[in-house]
Amino acid sequence: MNPLPINDSGPRVDRLQLAAIFCLMLIGLAFVFSATMITELAQAAPLVKQLWFRQGFWYCAGLSVATLLCFVDYHTLARWAGPAYWFNIALLVAVIFFGTVRGGARRWFDLSFFSLQPSEFAKLAFILALANFLSRPPEELRQPTNFWRAMGMLLLPFFLIAKQPDLGSAAVLLPTGFAMMFVAGVPRRYLLRCIGLVAALAVLLVVDALVSPTKTPLLLKEYQKQRLLVYFGKDFAPPNATPLEKRRWKQLQEEKSYQSQQALISVGSGGLTGQGWRQGKQTSLGFLPPGAAHTDFIFSVIAEEKGFVGSATVIALYAVVLFTGLRIAGQARDRLGKVLAVGVVTLLFSHVFINIGMNIRLMPVKGIPLPLLSYGGSSVLASMIALGMLQNVHIYRKGY
Amino acid sequence: MLIFDQIRKNDVQLQLLALFLCAGLAILLTGLWWVQIVNASRHRESVATQAFRSVRIPAQRGQIYDRTGIVLAENRPNYSIDLYLEELSPAFRKEYQRIRPRQVTTNDLPFWKDWLGFDAVKTNFPRVKGDDLERVARLRVVSSVAEKVGHLLQAPTSIDPTNFHRHYAVARAMPFPLVNNLSPRDVARFEEQYAGTVGVDLEIQARRFYPHSNVAAHVIGYVRQDNDSVNDEESFYWYRLPDYRGKVGIEGGLDQTLRGWAGEKSVQINSLLYRQTETIWEATVPGTNIVLTLDVAVQRAAEDALRKQIGSGGRGAVVVMEVNTGDILALASHPTYSPNQFAHGISRRDYQELQRLTAENNRATAENYQAGSIFKTIIALAALETPQSGFNPNAEYIVQPNPARPDRGIIYVGNNSWKDTVTPGKYNLRRAIARSSNAYFIHAGLLPGVFERVVEIGRRLHLGERFDTNSVPLRQQTAGNFPTAKRIQSKWRDGDSANICIGQGAMDVTPLQIAVMTSALANGGEVLKPRFIERLEINDPTGLATPIVPPRGQVRDHLGVSKRSLDILHEAMLSETESDEGTGRYVQGCGFRVCGKTGTAERNETRADGQKKNTTWFASYAPYESPRYAVVVMVEDGESGGKTCVPVAKEIYIALKSFETRTSNGAITATTR
Repeated sequence: MNPLPINDSGPRVDRLQLAAIFCLMLIGLAFVFSATMITELAQAAPLVKQLWFRQGFWYCAGLSVATLLCFVDYHTLARWAGPAYWFNIALLVAVIFFGTVRGGARRWFDLSFFSLQPSEFAKLAFILALANFLSRPPEELRQPTNFWRAMGMLLLPFFLIAKQPDLGSAAVLLPTGFAMMFVAGVPRRYLLRCIGLVAALAVLLVVDALVSPTKTPLLLKEYQKQRLLVYFGKDFAPPNATPLEKRRWKQLQEEKSYQSQQALISVGSGGLTGQGWRQGKQTSLGFLPPGAAHTDFIFSVIAEEKGFVGSATVIALYAVVLFTGLRIAGQARDRLGKVLAVGVVTLLFSHVFINIGMNIRLMPVKGIPLPLLSYGGSSVLASMIALGMLQNVHIYRKGY
Repeated sequence: MLIFDQIRKNDVQLQLLALFLCAGLAILLTGLWWVQIVNASRHRESVATQAFRSVRIPAQRGQIYDRTGIVLAENRPNYSIDLYLEELSPAFRKEYQRIRPRQVTTNDLPFWKDWLGFDAVKTNFPRVKGDDLERVARLRVVSSVAEKVGHLLQAPTSIDPTNFHRHYAVARAMPFPLVNNLSPRDVARFEEQYAGTVGVDLEIQARRFYPHSNVAAHVIGYVRQDNDSVNDEESFYWYRLPDYRGKVGIEGGLDQTLRGWAGEKSVQINSLLYRQTETIWEATVPGTNIVLTLDVAVQRAAEDALRKQIGSGGRGAVVVMEVNTGDILALASHPTYSPNQFAHGISRRDYQELQRLTAENNRATAENYQAGSIFKTIIALAALETPQSGFNPNAEYIVQPNPARPDRGIIYVGNNSWKDTVTPGKYNLRRAIARSSNAYFIHAGLLPGVFERVVEIGRRLHLGERFDTNSVPLRQQTAGNFPTAKRIQSKWRDGDSANICIGQGAMDVTPLQIAVMTSALANGGEVLKPRFIERLEINDPTGLATPIVPPRGQVRDHLGVSKRSLDILHEAMLSETESDEGTGRYVQGCGFRVCGKTGTAERNETRADGQKKNTTWFASYAPYESPRYAVVVMVEDGESGGKTCVPVAKEIYIALKSFETRTSNGAITATTR
């Protein structure tokens, strides 16, 4: 069965977006290489253990999965949205009990060759399911019950992911869900109320962290509070601390703000044109934490080594991906395709904004990968699947 | 925009979303512009502060030669074995992992995990608080390396834990010195067996060395270990390699010239503070070599003669000066020290011993002495130059006998009397010089106008003044004392003048000042600047740079006396050494005809045996026919000028004779390289 119309002379895939994606993958390979091949130990490792090679493998795997997805009309995919959603919810529940603990959070399943981060895939299942749910006639969406059902679909994975704890990944779901509802035609008053509620909650959290009357914050974990304190540049030490305590707090603060401080220095020291590929001092001397340089802080590596020119290029490439995504949404055959495309675009945008934002201290540090650039199987696979769905919407826009 | 136009015009939601994305990306770009363009330099500085450590590298210090090119101060390689911590860091980690506490647990696995081949035995590493264990691991590694090295060198080597931990804390990027001052044998052993071993290597550092030990110690001076920046040099460094700083002598006075310019290297460190790479930012400029006017043979002869005469505990000084150029051929002070002691760290006991002997003092330039009878030459000169005094060198003056001791003379001035050491009788100038009659010169000095002339000549000799530091760059100097013309106008009695007439009372001199005075008498009245530096050789690898030669025979002043007067004095000083009753007659047989004047000044202290303490002198020049050398010998608490100092001078003249033979053979032109 060939799903594609034989006599179609128009583009099957969005080539501009594809080109941007390939560019991003090349950049990803180059800078994962640069960020990891800094010690002799790493250079002497066999090829399959070298992270840039593994990243290449994940690109290939992701590309294959995305291509496979493109052979199935997204309407067919949407039929599986329900089971996929609940399967992922089950995984999220399972990871809370059986996941591997790393840095105080249970986010991963250790599959020995690969550690699976279910939240990455849960986001995709959520988008597919919500798009499927929102594709019903707009009249039905005006009913409050449907709106609250949609909110329930959003909040269930949100709380499960926040429980890991991974507040960053959970937070990404909010703009994605709201954007999809907004585009699908959910009445604005519902959305504005919800956004207002979320904003109030966020303010409450921040206030709780900054001027908490009790020693431990009520709603946040201690480390989350500390990250917020670092972000707002506040002292850790309570005002009535003794000098010795103050010194200890200060030391702790230096430790905690180290990553974000070093990331900022890396980005800033790039200047206009950067130090040159593999010439970044922050990376090669290990000031940018070696465990994070090729994952969450890959943008710092790029910015240090290629400067403002390099980082602007990366942002331009993301802009191409995002706006071609919006074009796909605009040209989609139906509301399902449109909402699905909007969901993917907003998800990618949230990742990009939060990740780059935290590299330049616009955002507090969160474990959010940069799509396609950060090293990591789950992240790369999930990003490629998301982009595959986007292309799918494009390919089947003339399916009738 | 291409993409925007394609979003349908009526699709408000998508347009709003597009706007939202645009705003987001614009915020990111603005943020990046702020961080990467506006604040780039600030962040670059942060990188530099956390990733680079500047290290001061001392320049090679200039060498010091005598006038014939014999090395007096040089730099010798000093080998040490250093530990390179960055190379040992994997071993530190390994050792830490070996000794850290662990919990091995055997779990009951569910059947499916067992079936999948999961291991039931699990090793947990509980967190250890603090870095005590890491410190133990590091110390174990370096101690075992030290033990191996010690075994190789057959000398037990150990590491002081506090020292090592401090070094690790503050200077991790720098090598840790394990063994210093390796002998050549040890170096060979090490090279043979250890070359290429990870973490251990030989390091060479320049070490100041004085091959002739204490010869000319007071001219050369000494250096001490001091890594600080000097004057306008860059003063901020993270680390400094060992360097020297000249304290006194030529090493001190010409420290700037000798030390050259320190360089700088930058050590790149990683986030664990270990060394990564090194780059030389500024190369060192080696110091300038200095060729002194000293002649080691004459210097050694002077020191040996002095030591032979006064013993190792005696105190004295010798100055040998060329009377026409001002060149200092020898300058000795006793007791002496070896500059090597200071350069390599002197022990507390040795230093206390040096202080007890006051060996550091340069008695030729930095201590005040009463001139005694040698100053009578100036009194004679002043009398000869004062026509209104009616002084006639040939007229005979009758020294009266001392009523208390009829075989010795005496002179009365006002209510005071001055004893004489000579027998009463008739004295003319020549005999008075030869016998050193106090009465004669007090009488002559108090003739009308004579004392004013004495003060004038003293002013022209610059008595009571320091030498210019360019001419005497030894950093150890004293001015001495001498009355000025203003001083003698009020509250100045004839008694004060009478004291000056025999070189005592309100005047103090240094042997170097007396050498300049003697040279002036010998060279026709030119008061010269002493000259210590023969030439400065800029350390230029091509050898093409022209050396700087300070001018010879720089005249500081003229005595302002006639040749006739000098000639009369000349003859009189010759008879001091050549007449049978001359106090300087022991100098005969040295190969020159010597003109001289002995002196014994009484000090206001008494020795343990009740005798008064003396400063004994012999100021002389030779040869009589055409004077070339002035030799001044001063001994504290000698018996008398004639008996204590003259024999020393004789030895020196013998050495000068052979010096002359050598230099006429062209040895003086020998190059220093």
